[in-house]
Amino acid sequence: MKNIIKLTDLHKTYEGGTHALKGVNLEVKEGEFLILLGLSGSGKSTLLRCMNRLIEPTSGEIEIDNENVITAKGKLLRKIRRHIGMIFQQFNLIKNLSALTNVLSGKLGYVSLWHAITFSMHKNDVALAMSNLKRVGLDQFAKNTARNLSGGQQQRVAIARALMQNPRVIFADEPVASLDPATADSVMRYLGELNTNDNITILCSLHFLSLARKYGTRVIALKDGNIVFDGTPKEIDEKKFKDIYGEDAEEVEIR
Amino acid sequence: MKKKCKTIAVIQSLATDLLFWIYIFGCMYYLMHKWSGFTAKLFFVGIAALLATIIFQLIRESIGVKLFLSSGKPKRSVLKSVWGYLTLLSLVVTFVVGMNIVQVDFYKFFTKFQNAGGIASGIFDPSITEYSLSATSIDELEKESLPPDVLKTLKGIQNRKYSTKKVFLEDLQKRLGESTLQEYKSNILQSAYKSNQLLNIALSALAETIFLALLATVFAIPIAFVLSFFAARNLMPRTWLGNIVYILIRTVATIFRSIEAIVWAIIFSVWVGIGPFAGMLALMVHSVASLTKLYSEQIENIDSGPVEAIKATGASTLQTWIYAVIPQIISPYLAFTIYRWDINVRMATIVGFVGGGGIGLLILQQQQLLRWHNVGLLIWLIAFVVWVMDMTSAKVREKLGGM
Repeated sequence: MKNIIKLTDLHKTYEGGTHALKGVNLEVKEGEFLILLGLSGSGKSTLLRCMNRLIEPTSGEIEIDNENVITAKGKLLRKIRRHIGMIFQQFNLIKNLSALTNVLSGKLGYVSLWHAITFSMHKNDVALAMSNLKRVGLDQFAKNTARNLSGGQQQRVAIARALMQNPRVIFADEPVASLDPATADSVMRYLGELNTNDNITILCSLHFLSLARKYGTRVIALKDGNIVFDGTPKEIDEKKFKDIYGEDAEEVEIR
Repeated sequence: MKKKCKTIAVIQSLATDLLFWIYIFGCMYYLMHKWSGFTAKLFFVGIAALLATIIFQLIRESIGVKLFLSSGKPKRSVLKSVWGYLTLLSLVVTFVVGMNIVQVDFYKFFTKFQNAGGIASGIFDPSITEYSLSATSIDELEKESLPPDVLKTLKGIQNRKYSTKKVFLEDLQKRLGESTLQEYKSNILQSAYKSNQLLNIALSALAETIFLALLATVFAIPIAFVLSFFAARNLMPRTWLGNIVYILIRTVATIFRSIEAIVWAIIFSVWVGIGPFAGMLALMVHSVASLTKLYSEQIENIDSGPVEAIKATGASTLQTWIYAVIPQIISPYLAFTIYRWDINVRMATIVGFVGGGGIGLLILQQQQLLRWHNVGLLIWLIAFVVWVMDMTSAKVREKLGGM
């Protein structure tokens, strides 16, 4: 399998002086389901957002799908971004628009400005959006306002929105941290299904080891901006866990 | 380092005391001058202040000492200490001088109410129907065989306009005497010419006011809408160009907003001539400035999550604004805009006073002619419209869930 993501010596220092990433080197193979572990503030969100330049990295090299992300500007950057789906902890839907319009917004990287201004989309795109909604089991909620959907439903709409981009990679930043355990598992199942059926590479930050073991094919752990563990989910024993999360940590089982 | 701090504290303390005593002696001089015509060179006020400063610094009991040089717990309670009394003194002096400068006169307030009697009677008896005796009215009365002397008196006031029925009858009573009036009252009232001319003029002026407020708002919306995006901190990139645009728009909006609409009306009534157009321009400029501020603050309060999400799909900046920013701000924008229209209707009446057209101009004219019953009608009309606007705008804003 070839590499789809390659990070070389990636640094990020925030304006306030926080050194969030301290030289991250990482290679991700196509089709992997990579889990990112680590405490809050260990740099997981920063790492994911640096990779599509929602946050500007301070230095280092980023290569995604054979494109140099660091030097990309304007149109090229947007072209790179449209093949990277992104899922957020707070779902980040536009709350007063319908589920369908939210899903359609995933296509914005492909359409002209005029289509955006008039909120009009091509018939084929609407059909695709409906089929993506159906895929996450929400086709009957297409006309509902996003605000009126439950947390789990909103996250599934967000997954459908990412699917509209026809992504090669999906970054998921703690996608289940705001959800109850049962809903969390169903959202992870949809991500797992995209990984196996559509061969979409997934990078997902999590706090639950049980979910990491169930869905991840590989785990990396961040601590203070450095990668402190890189291996398979099974390799994480109690000692490794304490290395990552600190001496006082106890693993909480989520089933 | 510590010594330097001490020196600065001493200077601050001295300066505070000196300013304090200059103010106290200055106020006292003003009062003495006002009451007894006492004059002295201002130089002596300075000398007195300087002396007082030195004396109170030496006994170490002044406001400056208290603020900058005292350490630890106060030895005595506020009311027993010298600086407490000094503060009290300054408050009393300020109050007395203030009363003098503002020319507060309670005697006038309670005894000269009859001066405003004209306006008061106008408000309680607004001119809705005007009465007059036209040539036709007199002819009719002649046919009804009124006595010749009565007819003669009535011919004397032919075509004179009376604002209300009450005013008409009062004048007739003066001219004919009470008993004669009572005898022919019904005949006269029946044949008198009644017109709603003023009411018609007032209503059309009111329409002018409402429409000029509406147009001012409508023209202000698109301008403020576009400007607000460039005046929002979270949307403007932190490059030098972004900063310049942001600061420029914010500053100009603040300056334009701090100039009252009435001042803009004076400027525009010279520019385009007295009339509703000048009033509209005045309100528009003020509305653009206010709405830009309100709108951009609304943008700064939006949830940044959706913006990030849409940006991550590969959307351009403009597409991101359209999809992630506008849906979040549309209903507060509507609420602000309706509120602005409400404010503009209220301001339009004032703007009319200085040449902005509409009902304000009409009030000014009628007031200068001392037609208090007509002024009364106009005041009632304005009150009614403002009340209706206030209620509807509150209801609509409640529905929109803003403010």
